[in-house]
Amino acid sequence: MNNYTDLRRPYAPAALEALEARLALRMTAHLTEAATDLAPDVTERLRFAREQALQRARAARSAQTSVVVVGGGGPSAALAGGEGGYGWWLQLAALVPLVALVGGLVLIQQMHNNDQIAAAAEIDASLLADDLPPSAYSDPGFVEFLKAPDDLPVL
Amino acid sequence: MASDKELSDFLKSVEKRAFKRVAYAVRDDDAALDIVQDSMIRLAEKYVDRPAAELPLVFQRILSNATMDWFRRQKVRNAVVRNFSEYESTSDDGDFDLLETLAAQNESSATESAAESVSRAQILLAIDGEVARLPTRQREAFLLRYWEELDVAETATVMGCSEGSVKTHCSRAVHALADALKAKGIEL
Repeated sequence: MNNYTDLRRPYAPAALEALEARLALRMTAHLTEAATDLAPDVTERLRFAREQALQRARAARSAQTSVVVVGGGGPSAALAGGEGGYGWWLQLAALVPLVALVGGLVLIQQMHNNDQIAAAAEIDASLLADDLPPSAYSDPGFVEFLKAPDDLPVL
Repeated sequence: MASDKELSDFLKSVEKRAFKRVAYAVRDDDAALDIVQDSMIRLAEKYVDRPAAELPLVFQRILSNATMDWFRRQKVRNAVVRNFSEYESTSDDGDFDLLETLAAQNESSATESAAESVSRAQILLAIDGEVARLPTRQREAFLLRYWEELDVAETATVMGCSEGSVKTHCSRAVHALADALKAKGIEL
């Protein structure tokens, strides 16, 4: 069959696509045949490249496994959790400093509030325990008396 | 996760086609071998945890990107070491225009080899030459779709274009190859 003539006939789009695919596959079959006859040095180099890639893959796998074991706390964790378990542990470990920071800030705030309350209570206690009533401090005349010099004669 | 054997089998099955595909593009066997080796290593190091079924598509994408990177490096190197004026008109259109310029330079040798008789080896050589002479995007689409047997969507993903573009490129490539082979009196 002459495929080139067929391509020029007015085919339906689907039929033309199928015809093109058939012709293309015949061409690629020839390409495959040609690719099998590569020069020996090329095939040797490809084999070497493949071996290198496989070595890297093994190294990458072993590196992943060792990280999981260290992160998971032992072989049992690696078996139980695998890569996902390690991810959880890593996320939890990353949260620990943040939690400690927030806790410390809350504690400092609490201590500060307690100090302020204690100071205010001490002032209140002193005021209440004094002979002078607290309402005297709101009297303008008493304030003026306090500001007056000590050697002013009392009338 | 792909096992060692699955990865090895996959690489063995794809390495020769990968080499030819890159060699068509870069026109330099040593460079093509380097690119294929880099792509294999990149696949093994970064995508070893992927299932075996995903390897073909991932590898083709890596191979395409590695080829593009090679052209970028060549472009920079050529700009440094020699006058680049002969490529100036195409320098704004992407890396593959450089490739098309190189393809045109190889035209005479491909024509000579295909102009001889229609023995089996010569048919192979003629098809090889005509595929090499296809415009880059058409050749990429043709090889990915029909040689690597990716579907249209996968080919579009690897090439970074629409499925419609893939179909157009493939159709034009098949017609161009058919015309060229017919002109040489070759029937498949």
